[in-house]
Amino acid sequence: MATIQRVLPRQQNKEKRSDYRAAIKKTLRKPQFWFGLMVLGPTLIWYFLFLLLPMIRSAWMSVVAYQIMDASASQFVGLGNFQKLIENPLFAIAMRNTLTWAGMTFLLMLPSSLFVSTALSRVRVGRNLYQSIIFVPVVMSLVAIALLFRMLMDPQTGQFNQILDALGLPESKWISDESSALPVMVAIQVWKSLGTYVVILTAGLLNIPHELFEAATVDGANDRQMFWRMTLPLLGHTLTMITVMMFIDGVQAFTLPSVLTAGGPGTATFMGNMLIYQEAFSNLRFGTATAGAILQLILILFITRVLMKAITPKWSY
Amino acid sequence: MDIASSRPLVKNVFPVRTLLSQGSIHILLLFLAIIAVLPLFWSIFASFKSYKELVTSRDFFPHVWTLGNYDEIINKNGFGIALINSIIVSSVVTLSTIATSSAVGYVFARYNFPGRDKLFMVLLSTMMLPFAVVLVPLYVMIVGLGLTNELGGVIVVALWSTFGMFMMRQFMQSIPSELLDAARIDGAGELRIFAGIVLPLSTAPMAALSVFTFLGSWDNFLWPLIVLSSQEKQTLPILLNGLKSLYWTRYEMWTAGSMMTVIPVMILYVFASKYFIRGVAMTGMKA
Repeated sequence: MATIQRVLPRQQNKEKRSDYRAAIKKTLRKPQFWFGLMVLGPTLIWYFLFLLLPMIRSAWMSVVAYQIMDASASQFVGLGNFQKLIENPLFAIAMRNTLTWAGMTFLLMLPSSLFVSTALSRVRVGRNLYQSIIFVPVVMSLVAIALLFRMLMDPQTGQFNQILDALGLPESKWISDESSALPVMVAIQVWKSLGTYVVILTAGLLNIPHELFEAATVDGANDRQMFWRMTLPLLGHTLTMITVMMFIDGVQAFTLPSVLTAGGPGTATFMGNMLIYQEAFSNLRFGTATAGAILQLILILFITRVLMKAITPKWSY
Repeated sequence: MDIASSRPLVKNVFPVRTLLSQGSIHILLLFLAIIAVLPLFWSIFASFKSYKELVTSRDFFPHVWTLGNYDEIINKNGFGIALINSIIVSSVVTLSTIATSSAVGYVFARYNFPGRDKLFMVLLSTMMLPFAVVLVPLYVMIVGLGLTNELGGVIVVALWSTFGMFMMRQFMQSIPSELLDAARIDGAGELRIFAGIVLPLSTAPMAALSVFTFLGSWDNFLWPLIVLSSQEKQTLPILLNGLKSLYWTRYEMWTAGSMMTVIPVMILYVFASKYFIRGVAMTGMKA
């Protein structure tokens, strides 16, 4: 009995091993395996080198006093970089500006894009033409747009003040005034990227079966009821996604504020990403810069979670 | 059947209300369309004005047309070279993204292997990652590779695109497996199936992805700003941003530089607006 018991597992092992070997041989003979390996191999190497490795190094840099000349000699400092960053007076300013910016952009962008896409979904002729014209600012380079508006908003020679003059209205200092700089920049951003959200929302609206609205009309529902009780809930997933997109983009604002105002006047438009950039490439403090980036990641994950929780359950159908 | 329930039908037969509402929608959309393109047209014409005319005259069209602004930014400020740099970077990035996205998308959509969906979710989750998180280590790496101030340093970080992979996978899941199996039975190799069957069926999302990628690469600002330091290596947005400090208020230079940056993509847009819009509409599929 004992011998049999001892032999049996061994035999099973042998069988198993030969099973594996056969399976591996079979896989190796498959042309799909080689094609998949050829495609996924380089992909995984690239993701490792240009995403995973930098992420790990970023986490490491944020907790050491990074030595640029000899990185391996960097000393562990715990949360010292985070503390230094938060104690920087610019941190609170950048944080407040970034959140105000993201919130204001959202509050202006979502209703206007919903409004425009509703109009587009209802128009019977020329929809594609209107859509492609409204989309033009999206295609324009943001740096060019920033320069263009800086020029148009020049308090002395700019066209915007000339228009106000012609209409008999008081002149504005636009982006040269601390109180108006951020709202004006929000308006420029909305003008620039409205087309993106309009296209996404119009596609979503046109996906809603027309019969539903016809049925509701027959049942005596008015326009407002249909908008709040049908259109918005049926757009649920799209709305959640573009809300998240708007916030993620908003938190990462860099090009427009740095080209348009360079964070000014004073610190009125100084953003989180500009602080990270300044710490890393002007002050060469890699530790505080990556600490800032990691705080930004946490902020994005937090916002995404909160938004998903807040919006999805109510509106998902 | 009572009269009340037939009322909405009567409303639809009588077209005045429809005409009125369609008319107001057209007025609204026309107004929006003008706001959207007016700054572009204003700056196209402004780029042909002299400095004096630009700051003194309110007129939309130039009184005296001049090519002097373009002459100066191309010959003195290197905008011609920057244009070529931008074209090189954006074309290489676009070609690479198309190739990698379609191949990886195909493997994830149509091949079966253990851990496939988990691996894809991991790759997909990198889309949430803000660029700032990898910015500094990536720069240190580019310095180590000797790619600072080289176009290659801008290109190498953009060879793969997570969004592109996702988009192509999404589309290729609709290609019937039977088609691929039939080709396999006929003895076609995997590369041949991919290049001869899968790619020709996927030209629409590939076109959308390519204009989308081209635009993103053309407008990219933060990373090229860090990598490219000397004028003859810079792409258009970086050189354009430099005009701000170089020509403090010489706005005619700004307009000419802006138009050099904007017009090439605009030409592409005029011919392929359908694909631009489709590419953006497809970002809505993420939901």
